[in-house]
Amino acid sequence: MVVTAPLTGVAVPLQGVPDPVFAQSLVGPGVAITPVARVQTVLAPIAGRLVKLKPHAFVVQGETGAVLVHLGIDTIQLDGTVSEPIAAEGQLLAAGDPVARWHPELVIEAGLNPVCPVIVLESSSRVVQILAEGPVEAGAPLFSWT
Amino acid sequence: MDVMVVVKESLHARPAAVFVQAVLDSGQAVGIARPGGAAADARSILSVLALDIRSGERVVLSGGSRDVLDRLAGVLA
Repeated sequence: MVVTAPLTGVAVPLQGVPDPVFAQSLVGPGVAITPVARVQTVLAPIAGRLVKLKPHAFVVQGETGAVLVHLGIDTIQLDGTVSEPIAAEGQLLAAGDPVARWHPELVIEAGLNPVCPVIVLESSSRVVQILAEGPVEAGAPLFSWT
Repeated sequence: MDVMVVVKESLHARPAAVFVQAVLDSGQAVGIARPGGAAADARSILSVLALDIRSGERVVLSGGSRDVLDRLAGVLA
């Protein structure tokens, strides 16, 4: 299954995320994106149901797995101030459908790291195949997993 | 066997992952629920995230042995 980039930025290995729980793939395997620091429309990384939508993170559950997009590190403390929902929890989405407007530049202003882990939840395999390294556009293939 | 615990930190992605890993490490089928609510599989990070437990809420852990539930309660408290 191919996971597409939820936003535009630079794809970086999960090990580079400054949070050991994400960096050690404890949440799950995946890839992170350091976002371009301007307001962005965050897109669904796979087709499926938007089972959770919070200001700092969301989960799309597809037929063969679920993907978590975490909008920055420790951004739960900014809840509601740097993002606005576009989609609604429970909604069925196609890959690439808009989920939220998000302001990574305000995350940086708040002194936090806006890097976004894109994580497969409950994957049977612990590895993903990385499809993008370096600059990546929202909607482009990011990684795949089997 | 049930153990009730007041959750210190909201169970968002990171603390949920730490908790679920502790459940998996225990090797036991543990459930997590709000008091009186349906139990979710505590081995599933998706199920735990879906519960959306907030800081200060009480949850009930069930299904495991006493020492495992006490240890898991310690992870949440």
